[in-house]
Order: sequence, then structure tokens, then C-alpha cells
Amino acid sequence: MSAKNSQQTPQKDKLSNGQMFAYGLGGIVNNLLGGAIGFMSIVLNVGLGINPALVGTLQAIPRLTDAITDPVMGYISDKTRSRYGRRRPYIFIGAIAVGLMFALMWQLPPGNSEMFYFWFFLIGSIIFYLFYTMFATPWVALGYELTTDYHERTRLMGVMNFMGQFAWISLPWFYAIMENDRLFSDSVEGARTLAIVIGVFVAIVGAVPAIFLKEKFVAVDADSGEKKISMLEGIKKNVAEFLKGLVTTVKRPEFLKLCAGTFFLFNGIMLVGAFSSYITIFYVSGGDNDMGAKYMGLFGTINTISTLMAIAAVTWISSKIGKRKTFILATSITMIGSLLKWFSYDPMAPWKVLLPAPMIAVGMGALFTLMGSMIADVCDLDELETGERREGMFGSIYWWMVKLGMALAFGLSGYLLNATGFEVELGGAQSSSTFFWMRIVDVFIPAAAALIAIISVASFKITEERALEIRSELEKRKAKTAPVSAALSSE
Amino acid sequence: MKLSNFIIVLLVGISFAMFGGCQEISEELADIDPEGVDTLRITMIAKSSDNPVFTTAKKGALQAAEELSEKYSMLHVEVDWETPATEDANRQVEIIRKAVRENADAIIVSCSDRDSLTSAINAAVDAGVEVMTFDSDAPESKRFTFYGPDDEKMGEMLADKLAELTEGKGKIAILGGNQDAPNLKKRINGIQNALADYPDMDNVGTYYHPENEVDAIALMDSVHKMYPDLIGWAMVGSWPLFGDKLMDIIEPGKIKIVAIDALPVQLKYVEQNYVQLLLGQPTFRWGKISVETIVEKLHEKEEVKEIIRLKPIPVSIENLGGWSRQLRAWGYTDIPEKYLVM
Repeated sequence: MSAKNSQQTPQKDKLSNGQMFAYGLGGIVNNLLGGAIGFMSIVLNVGLGINPALVGTLQAIPRLTDAITDPVMGYISDKTRSRYGRRRPYIFIGAIAVGLMFALMWQLPPGNSEMFYFWFFLIGSIIFYLFYTMFATPWVALGYELTTDYHERTRLMGVMNFMGQFAWISLPWFYAIMENDRLFSDSVEGARTLAIVIGVFVAIVGAVPAIFLKEKFVAVDADSGEKKISMLEGIKKNVAEFLKGLVTTVKRPEFLKLCAGTFFLFNGIMLVGAFSSYITIFYVSGGDNDMGAKYMGLFGTINTISTLMAIAAVTWISSKIGKRKTFILATSITMIGSLLKWFSYDPMAPWKVLLPAPMIAVGMGALFTLMGSMIADVCDLDELETGERREGMFGSIYWWMVKLGMALAFGLSGYLLNATGFEVELGGAQSSSTFFWMRIVDVFIPAAAALIAIISVASFKITEERALEIRSELEKRKAKTAPVSAALSSE
Repeated sequence: MKLSNFIIVLLVGISFAMFGGCQEISEELADIDPEGVDTLRITMIAKSSDNPVFTTAKKGALQAAEELSEKYSMLHVEVDWETPATEDANRQVEIIRKAVRENADAIIVSCSDRDSLTSAINAAVDAGVEVMTFDSDAPESKRFTFYGPDDEKMGEMLADKLAELTEGKGKIAILGGNQDAPNLKKRINGIQNALADYPDMDNVGTYYHPENEVDAIALMDSVHKMYPDLIGWAMVGSWPLFGDKLMDIIEPGKIKIVAIDALPVQLKYVEQNYVQLLLGQPTFRWGKISVETIVEKLHEKEEVKEIIRLKPIPVSIENLGGWSRQLRAWGYTDIPEKYLVM
């Protein structure tokens, strides 16, 4: 869509800077919670001596429980009717509960057995992830419904994604903080204190979106006028409704295209994250850890700065050419960046490893900016066809898919590295075939995944014109049901 | 203040708090020495400073000292490189005595002569200085640990690889270097023990010689004349590979050769298929692991094993590029570019 055809955002649909900022604070908390356990878990192995396989299990099991709790929470939130709305109460209570739980789960008492710590942390993790879901699912859904405008949604997601990056900047420093022997006697004590600091931050900052944002939609009481039923029948009915909603959601083609696009682009890059480090250290730097670490650090810095710039650029370009085309453009740049790695891994010119960093960052910057906005458009289409607003269900399934994919990518990464023949004891003296296969995996898996992501999203049908048509239909319908909504609001 | 300006200020604030704050902690970790920092002074004595294998060991030691000083805020590790220009056991003894006089906390030494150094090491330990050996041990001394290869195991690895290359049959010989060198004796024992598992392999003998290129090649030439059907050599050192002359008396690939050590000068033999396997020693780790071990014992008060084994790295045409880059990373400068891009 050309710039002149692009619609201006009506004043009523515009969000203030304060609203965007309040929602973006949730992005910081969400990313912090999502990444903190992964970055701090090294303490379980290094500080408490828990077997790495058990540590891996500790991180994998909550992903399985998420499969149930995420959509259930989405359903509960979608169906909730309260004077404070259907998202904000959960965000408020969830932020405080998850902050408290995060602080508690790291208070590992000293002098216990490996299995004690395993069970202590496993139970703590499961409860933590329950509260995390309680906070994150309604917060994600709230973002989809804060504005109905096609472009304002992208701007909101851009601000959220931009602010959320600050969590990713801070996470890699956690280990250095916990290990600081001037601050703490050991890394376990460091983890205890750091967890309290994070917990307090999460509880306070995470509650901000619930306090300062207003919900746009009110759940329609589908049961009004129906006769009262027993609790058991109520549960049965809700389970049946939940399952029906789940099936409806996962059968929606436009939603599946977005899921596929995200799954492949995101996990293609996650899968080879470790490979890039290994190739930089052992191939490009010949096993010189210092030199490799220097280039990895520079790569990370360039990548972060580029991601922040990409988010701003993508938000702007999307308002000119539309979300789908912007996604394809950004993902294509990432694909080219991935392919460029084949030429940039040069032991005679190690600095070349930095060249693809800005290009790879573009796709990642675009992904969670555009996808959130596009899912909100799908929610409108879904409402048009089903009469329900189910941001919670869409958001929860989408993010569960992201989390599951990430867990699979991390797990598969180790197997792939072994399959290349990599032996850590050989240092830089790996065989040529090992380096060849490491580079093949590192270059072509994310490039191929990006291509699949482009193909998946290329046929996404909700263009700006279609989104406006849908919105117009919904507004007409809303006007007809306005008296009912007003009556419900005043209850 | 307008809301938008407030948001910008707040965002900048968060950036500083989360990024700058972390940076500050990192700098605190790395740069500032608080009061009460424990300085650990280590004297490192290799065999000779004109030998590049020891130059890389020095690089490893200095790198470990820097990393450990960064890791522990209350510890500063100093490495004092005190190595004779050429091999001289008496000079090493003098350096040990000087280190004791100057209150070094620990000494790392590769012994040029175990008998001469044993008493000096014992005197240092009695004076309260911890000593560990690397590369070349003084096993009867009071040193607390030795870091080096398992020579017998290296011999076994050579024999097994030679058996693989010759399909376990035919005449082979062992090039033995100095008959009195204890480490070479162990390597030869390892080869002979392993060959017992290959009944169709015929070891025509172990050949000793002065440890230089010319004598080693002359000996090999005479053995070839005695046994024209010889198909393999197991070399416990790489003396014939320290120049180009070996190429004049053998054809690439006709006789299978496996040897210990994989220095830059030897790599052309692997590239041109004169030699099928070299067992390289990660000499950089001599220094790195030794300094880390000293810190483990003196600062962390941890138990240290009496012998810490260095694992040799097999080098063949398959990983010639990787090994070349690794050598460069360890500080070797005379590596042809064609190997570095393999």
C-alpha cells in the first residue's frame, strides 16, 4: 500500500505516550521474567553442583505445564467480567505474585542434597510459571485491544518491543553480578539477593499497566438470561467452551500463518545462537577465547543497537507499506544477513564477523513489533466471525508456541553441535569437516527458516484495507449492541 | 514538564540504570583494586626462552594471570617470566634460589635436569614456596603437582594409529631419539605394549640417535636400505621433520609416519602426505593450566591432584587448518597463510 493510500489514525484511536510507556513497562517485566531463570540457572550447576542434565530438566518441565496453563489463562481472562475489567486484575495480582515467587524460589537453603534442590526449584518453578502466566497472558491480550487502529497497534508494539530490549541488555550481566566476590560470598548468595531485587522490580513495575491503562472492550455476557446451573455442569460447560475455542483458534488460517512465520524466523536464529559463538571462538579466532569473546561482545552490542534502530524503522515503514510487506522486507534482510555469514567467517580477517550483525537484527526487531500488531488484526477478524473477543486465547497460544520453540531450539542445538563432530577438548584444532558443517548449520538453517517464514506470511490476507473493512463492520455491530454493553458496564 | 519529555527522561534513566549500572559493576570487578588485595607472585621457569613452545606457554600463563585477577576482586596474580636463554639446569637452580630470596609465592618449572633441580625444589618448598612442574618433571622432589602428558599413553596412541594406517600388518620401526631420556623411554614402552595387540605387525627395531635432523634422517635412510619392505615409522620425537631433507629420501604416502609434536615447521609434511599423524601438545596450556592450578591451591585452598594430565591433540590433514589457526592463536607467527584458511 502506498503512503498516500495509508489511513491516518483517528484521534479517538490514538494512544498517549504515557499509555504506550505504561504498556512498554510490562514488556520489560515480561522479558525479564522470561529470561532471568535461564541466565541465573548456571548457579544451580556451578554454585550448588546440580547435574547439568537435571538443570535442563528443570527448565524443560515448566514448558509442558505452560501448554495447559497458558491457553486456560487466556480463556479465563477472555471470559472474566469484573468492574476492573478482564485483564487488569490479573496483571496487577499476577505481577505482585510472580515478583514474590521469583524472590522466594531462589532462596535456596544451604547444605542440602542435589535432589532436594531439584525438587525445591522444580516446585518453585511451576508455581512461578503459573503466576507468570497469570501476569503475562492478560498483559499480552491487553496490548492487542488497547487500540483498534491498524497502525497505532504497530506503534504500540514498537514501543513495547523497544522498551523490552532493555531487559535483554541487562540479562547477560546477571552472572557477573552474582559472581562478584566483593558483593557476595558466593554465587548462590548472589542469586538470592539478585532475585529479591528483581522480584521487587517486577512487582512494582509490572503492576503499572494494570493501574494506568484502561481496557477498551467489555466481555459480552453470553449467558445472560440463561437459567442457573450447578457448579459441575458449569465446569463441564466451561471445559467444552474452552476446547471449542482452542480448536477454533488453532484452525484460523491467518493466525497459523503468523505462528509459522514466528516459529521459523525466531527459532531458526535461536537454534544457531550457540553455533555463532563456537565458530567465532574456535574457527575465526583459532581457539583464542579472549579474541573470540571480544568479537562476540562487539557482535552483541551491534546487534542490540541495530535491533533498537530496526524497531523504530519497522514501525515507520509499516505505516507506509503495510505490515505484511514490512515483515517480508525485514525478514529478507535477515535472510541475506544469515547468508552473508558464510563469507564473513574469515580467520584472516576476524573483524568481518561483525558485518552481518545489523542485518540479522532487522528481522528480530521487526518480528515482535509486527506480529503483535498483526495478531490484534486477527482478533478483529475472529470477532467478526465468532462474535467473541479472544485476545487472551490468541496471545497465550502464540506465546506458548514461541516458548516451546525456544526450548526445542536450545535442546536441539546441543545435538546438532555433536552431530558436526565438535569436540571441546580439541579447542581450535577441530577437523575441516567439523567446521564446514558448523558453518553450514549456522548459515543455512536460519536462512532457510527465514525463507519459510516469508512464505508463511506472504499469503496473510489482512491488509490495511481489509482491516479497515473489518473494523467498520465491527463498529456497526457495536453500535447496534451499545445499549447492552452500556448496561453491562454499569453493573 | 510535558508528558513526552518526562517519558524520554524516564527511558534514558532506565537505560542508564539497567545498562550503565551493569557496566559500573563490571568495571568495579575489572579495574579497581580495593584495600586488602592479596598479590600472588609466581615465578615461571621454562627450559629455554628461544624455544617457541615455551613462548606460547608464557603467553598462556600471562593470560591466565590476567583472567584470574579480573575474576577475583581480592586477588592480583603476577607472573614473573625467568627463563634461561638456552637450556641450562644450573641457571634454573639459580633462578629458583633467587625466587625464594625475593619471596615468590609459587614457582612453576620445566626441569632441564631432574637431578640438579630436585634439591633446589625441595629447598624452595622447605622455605614455604609452593612448586609445581610442567612439561618435564622432577618426580622425586617435593613439588605438589606435575602438569604434562602421559608419555606411555602417547606411545600407545602412535602405535594404534600406525596400525590403522597399515591395516595392522607389515614391518615398522621406532625412531627413539636419546636412549637415556626418561620421557622417550616411556613413549617407546607405550608403542611396544600397544603393538602386542597387532600380531601381524613386525617391529624391526627401535633406533636411537643424536637428537638432530641430520642424524635422524641418516639413520632412517640406513634402516630403509636394510628393510626395503618397511611400511611405517613411529617417531617418539619429530627430529627428522625439523627441515626439508626427509623429503629427499621418501615418497609421500609410501611409508606411513606417525610422530610426536606438531610445530609449525612440521606442518608441510602433513600437508604433502609424508606424515599421516602428529600428536601435538597444547603448549599454551602449560602456562595457562599451571597458573590456574597455583591459584586453586593457594587462593582457593583446594586439593590438587599429584599429576594433572595434558591431553595431546591428534593433527592430520583433516584438521591441519584448525591446528594451524590454534597455533597462531597461541602466538606462533611462522605459519603459512594457506594453512590458516584451510
